[in-house]
Amino acid sequence: MEDISLQSRIDVLSEEQVMIQDSAVAFIAQDEELKKVRENRFSQPGYDAQTWAEMAEAGWLGFLVPEEYDGIGLTFSDLSLVLIQLGKGLVPAPFSATAVLAARTIVKGDNESFKKARLPALISGEWKPAVAWQEARATLDVNAKNVTCTDGKLNGQKLFVPDAGGADDFIVSAATAEGTALYLVEKDASGLSIEYAQRVDGGFYATLTFNNVAAGEQVASAAVAEQALASALDEARVAASAELLGVMTRALEITVDYLTQRVQFDKPIGSFQSLQHKSVDLFVLSEISRSVLLQTTALFDGDASVEARAIAASQLKARCGDAALQITKDAIQLHGGIGYTDECNIGLYLKKAMYLSSLWGNPSAHRSRYASLVL
Amino acid sequence: MTDYNAMADDDFRKMLCDWLVANYPDELRFPSARMHWDQCGDWYMTLAKKGWLAPGWPAEHGGMGLDANKLLILMEEFEGYGVGRTPDQGMTMIGPLLIQYGSEEQRKHYLPKILNGENIWCQGYSEPGAGSDLASLRTAAVRDGDDYVVNGHKIWTTLAMDANMIFTLVRTNKEGKKQQGITFLLIPLDSPGITVRGIDNLGMHDEFAEVFFDDVRVPVANVVGKENDGWTIAKALLGHERIFIGSPKMASLAMNRLQALAESADMFADPLFVERYIALKLDIEDLAAAYRRFVEVLKRGGKIGAEVSMLKIWNTETQQRITDLMLDVAGENCGVSDAIPAGDTAVSAPGEFIGARPTTIYGGSNEIQRNILAKAVLKLPS
Repeated sequence: MEDISLQSRIDVLSEEQVMIQDSAVAFIAQDEELKKVRENRFSQPGYDAQTWAEMAEAGWLGFLVPEEYDGIGLTFSDLSLVLIQLGKGLVPAPFSATAVLAARTIVKGDNESFKKARLPALISGEWKPAVAWQEARATLDVNAKNVTCTDGKLNGQKLFVPDAGGADDFIVSAATAEGTALYLVEKDASGLSIEYAQRVDGGFYATLTFNNVAAGEQVASAAVAEQALASALDEARVAASAELLGVMTRALEITVDYLTQRVQFDKPIGSFQSLQHKSVDLFVLSEISRSVLLQTTALFDGDASVEARAIAASQLKARCGDAALQITKDAIQLHGGIGYTDECNIGLYLKKAMYLSSLWGNPSAHRSRYASLVL
Repeated sequence: MTDYNAMADDDFRKMLCDWLVANYPDELRFPSARMHWDQCGDWYMTLAKKGWLAPGWPAEHGGMGLDANKLLILMEEFEGYGVGRTPDQGMTMIGPLLIQYGSEEQRKHYLPKILNGENIWCQGYSEPGAGSDLASLRTAAVRDGDDYVVNGHKIWTTLAMDANMIFTLVRTNKEGKKQQGITFLLIPLDSPGITVRGIDNLGMHDEFAEVFFDDVRVPVANVVGKENDGWTIAKALLGHERIFIGSPKMASLAMNRLQALAESADMFADPLFVERYIALKLDIEDLAAAYRRFVEVLKRGGKIGAEVSMLKIWNTETQQRITDLMLDVAGENCGVSDAIPAGDTAVSAPGEFIGARPTTIYGGSNEIQRNILAKAVLKLPS
């Protein structure tokens, strides 16, 4: 599939970045027809172990982990090159949830021995933690209220934990007398019940109910937990946005290719002006999104304040969420009847966009936060 | 001669800013319409004396010789201070074109006259029957001895009434492909047989004009390049200037006006308004990110192609949506021509709204920009 983005025309990558991108391109080329994606749909855990092992092998799981914990310590600009490709390939593994949200939450925590013990295992692919922080629909609030930790026992409920099926353990935020803290909870802990809900993209969300569950090791104390979680979530939003950019650009590539091949009225339908103009509008949306991603990853690679990062993450997630939905919706329309069949791959892109655009705050939630921070 | 490119960016900015404060007339800051010569002629000559009329021209031709980066800084400082546009087509269009395609004699004759204010140029491309389809133009130049005899009709000629020279595209061959019979011709506007008539736009301002040619004799020496080669030359004129049409400055300015209007009407207490306002603000912020991405290309010394059209589309359509919301906020004042007080300023919502109409038409309509992107970037079939 030809890359129609402006990257090769106007952006500059370092030699190292070209290598990173090339390896990610080769990685998703293994499943260009999305057969593996389809095999893993709607069956737990939603992705295969081999995919995860290959990502670990490539070193990607350690991109954002400092070298002292066996990580590689690369930048968001570097990582986004991988994430864009994972989005293009609709790779179902919980990369952003584990290698970004979980890894960065642990890194930003204050339990040094936990970091030393667990981060190398996360990076090598042996250990997959999932973060359970959310307690309501469409909230960005990281302050735990529903789940409490009293006398070492957790009670309450967490919602929308992505890809819990493949997770080994959970990192759970809980209200304590000192404020929100983060604890490790083993998946088979007594008193923990897990209820799965199938997602449109073929993966699963979990609801975790805690009934006097023994809290494990503290991942972050109340002194730092809220801040650690909030800033790791903003990083995860940047990661999800990079995936969304991949989803929308590949959906557009597939659609432009279809418009070029499909003949009606004795002409390729891509020669019709109404379809050309719609395609151009989608292209412009995708390149505006890419421009914001480039600006945001550069900001996250620098020394911007926590608030500046929050503003930038919301700006980016709002744009990429909206753009990915718009592009994949119109991609269905431009495909016509075949686009409404499950057999045609274009629908998989719409469903991935539906999932990722709402994950960790949908565009409305992020515009709202942006407004509260800038007005 | 100062080497401006060697200056630190901040020093350069400060120099420009200090000079503007000292020299730019207060009453001309943020003009509501394009200025005529009787308003801005003095300012034009101030720039000329300072040697700053032509920032982008090479120093050897009398310009400031700024590189792309410094040129953008200058644009930012001038726009930020509210410096209005002068009749600048000599500097922005015909000057650079003559530097690239003109003969030695033409450069020697015309460039100094642009820089000393003796020649004010306007652009004669569009015709009543040749707008988006410019190559179908019919204004004809027929050879007669050492002259051409020109007959025809140009339109949308910005500030023709203030100019004394016009650069035109004229038809010198009616056979073959229509792009191939066009010649680039320079014509003094005081030539016998020329009539200029102003046209009032929707803002009730005679910003553009039509120009009639009735047996106008023009020396053959006034052809730039070769006869029938004008189309190539006209197309080449789209250089680095195209980035400026994508600058978020215009939309930002509209947003500031909207903010003033909304504050005075206490609209920020209305969540419905805030939702619409924030969506527009993000449209501008995101455009700014794209604009900076393109500017980086120029700073690296790279070239920008057809893809820059995306900035024009996004910029102008955002500006129009902002002025839509201004009308909404204005309420019944939407029907009032005069500016209404808004805090310590005054805003004319209908003026802003009407002023935003031509942005999606000029410089190649947004529909034409979409055609260009469909073909040149998405490679969609014909």
